[in-house]
Amino acid sequence: MSALATVIKQGRRGAESFDRGKLYESVYAACLSVQSVDGLARDTAECVCNILTDWLENKLEITSSDIRRQVAKALEPLHPDAAYLYKHHKQMI
Amino acid sequence: MDTLTAFSVITLAALIHASFQLGVSMVTLLSGHAVGKKLAAKRTLRLVGAFLAGTLIMTALVISTLSYIAGIFFNHGATPMAWGTLAFAMIIIGLVVWICYYRRGPGTLLWVPRGLAKLLSKRIHATQMSAEAFSLGATSVFTELLFTITPAVAAAFAIISLPTSLQLIGAGVYILVASLSILLVVGFIGSGHNISRLQRWREANKRFLQFAGGSALIVLAFFLYINVVVTPVVVARVG
Repeated sequence: MSALATVIKQGRRGAESFDRGKLYESVYAACLSVQSVDGLARDTAECVCNILTDWLENKLEITSSDIRRQVAKALEPLHPDAAYLYKHHKQMI
Repeated sequence: MDTLTAFSVITLAALIHASFQLGVSMVTLLSGHAVGKKLAAKRTLRLVGAFLAGTLIMTALVISTLSYIAGIFFNHGATPMAWGTLAFAMIIIGLVVWICYYRRGPGTLLWVPRGLAKLLSKRIHATQMSAEAFSLGATSVFTELLFTITPAVAAAFAIISLPTSLQLIGAGVYILVASLSILLVVGFIGSGHNISRLQRWREANKRFLQFAGGSALIVLAFFLYINVVVTPVVVARVG
């Protein structure tokens, strides 16, 4: 079950359970960052969360980088600008 | 150094300063986070404006401090020895820019140590108040001093060679031109453009910007060496 998947974070930040709400907020914020309207941002975030939940089926352990890659992949056809920003926001400085 | 040459040196040095990208990266990230957090457009602009004010004031402080120090050491303009040393340092830094200003890999990862980059990203993400944005702007100029110190010193030497009445204008030109890239980005963000497009452009052109910045430093170094160090000696010998 996806709710039980453990997310291993980078560095010494340990691990935590997969949090759909947190994922939703991050995708929603990425969409808003590229001037997307609120409704579209919410729909996109919901859709990406559903895709990720399906992908997480039968996975017990994943890394935060896995999530970032999968989210970028799911976002690409829905919102290419948001996908680009989501993928690269940690590679700006 | 005549007035026209001094202003040319100040302008080219400021353009080199403007080609460095830490401030642009930080202001892009800051505006992205502010819009993503659904802050009102006015508040986002206030944060970005405060960042810009921080860079302008820090640049003003840097150039006026360097000019003041140069004025104390060289009462009647910098010596050929000082210009020569500066030209040598510029060539070294130009080569360093060519080699390692951007890190390899996707995105626009800069030379900044990863620990510091993480800290800056965290601070940018947490920024809510104008005062924080202001200090981030000032920090970006201070951090980039490693690369901008030589063009800033060249501009300071040129400023002290100007007549007193023009020195303030010289410093003003430097501050304005050195902040041009951030001014452009703030205008771009303020007019409601998509930061993803801006970041894509920066990523696509990062090698060109790196090459241009390093090359301009080397060109300025050669120009200064020939114009201020070699020419007076040749003129004196030929008579």
